[in-house]
Amino acid sequence: MTTDRELDEILAEIGREHRTMDAPDRLESVLCAATGARKRALGMPGVRLRWALASVVILLAAFAATGIIWQARQNHHSQTQQEGSVPVPKLSPERIPPSTRVTVRQSVEPGSGPARSARRVKASLPRSSQKPTTWNSLDEFVPLPVSEGLPIAAELSVVRIRLRGSDLQQYGLETPADAVAQTMLAEFVVGEDGLPRAIRIVR
Amino acid sequence: MFERLRRVGLNGELSDEELHRAALAGRSEAMAALYRRHGGLVYRFTLQMSRNEAAAEEITQEVFLALLTQVGRFDPARGTISTWLCGIARRQLWKYLERSDTAALLDLDEESTAELQSLSDGPAEILLRHEAVAVVRAGMDELPPALREVVILCALEEMSYEQAAHVLAVPVGTVRSRLHRAKARLAGLLRGEMANTERKR
Repeated sequence: MTTDRELDEILAEIGREHRTMDAPDRLESVLCAATGARKRALGMPGVRLRWALASVVILLAAFAATGIIWQARQNHHSQTQQEGSVPVPKLSPERIPPSTRVTVRQSVEPGSGPARSARRVKASLPRSSQKPTTWNSLDEFVPLPVSEGLPIAAELSVVRIRLRGSDLQQYGLETPADAVAQTMLAEFVVGEDGLPRAIRIVR
Repeated sequence: MFERLRRVGLNGELSDEELHRAALAGRSEAMAALYRRHGGLVYRFTLQMSRNEAAAEEITQEVFLALLTQVGRFDPARGTISTWLCGIARRQLWKYLERSDTAALLDLDEESTAELQSLSDGPAEILLRHEAVAVVRAGMDELPPALREVVILCALEEMSYEQAAHVLAVPVGTVRSRLHRAKARLAGLLRGEMANTERKR
């Protein structure tokens, strides 16, 4: 037993000395060179792969850009067609300056104010389109309450105007409280007499 | 991972597997880190087994190059990189020993008492000049490779039986029995040395 214990001690001593030995440093440089050579060997296919991926990305981007442009052109075209669906024999669409709008308001007959906005109205254009002039129904042209009683216009023009929600009240339209301060783009159908007949909220 | 490799500067935070992947990607500093971490173990093992510095260097180099060439053979689930490297070193060593000295590769089953006796006789002359450590060291050199490698791994490198079993690709029980037999031989040498010393007194 004593010999076994002594043997273990001797082996431990040899082991301690044994473990102080390091691998030669010169092998490190050899291995690093081999690893670098591997990197160079891997590099060529890697570069090709990166170029291929870049080409695919560029192609996809080009297709996407083409699609976006095409879509924008289509939208513009359809918008133009929509505008053109209303006959505009003489006037071209243009912004009505605020002063003009004041004139329109002044030309409104007494009694055709906001108080009448909730009822069904009959506008000069189109007469058949009878639906409540609520805020959510203005995505297409609806007759203005203030236009009731006006003579049928022989010539109509579409005029695009940027106005505030509160401005709609002067045309007899009801505006939600949260939209009073909002700015919006609207299209008015205006007769040859300069009075608005119908309105549509563009956005 | 490579960003992390740059950030930590290979100061020991990266695992062996991460370093191995980086080395496979061509990062020479990762290979250097792996070599600094495990090169000593592989070199000592091969040197102790071959007793030849040139052979030990060559085998160590081959072992680490295997990290780049035998990519799919290392499975982290089965063992650590150190035991995997030692396993490769061991296979290279046995090829080297087969080429250099076939007489040393005695089958363990054919070990004879006469060989044991000769071991006892050989160190007896040495015991006159050296202390017990030298006797054990010399006894280790005389051990058959299959026993010597177990002593190197378990006694000198302080590997567990499981780790040694992974390196040697044998069951744990085989490691235990080989170590027991190797120690019995070395203990016999040590007893002979002690008896000799007593006689001299």
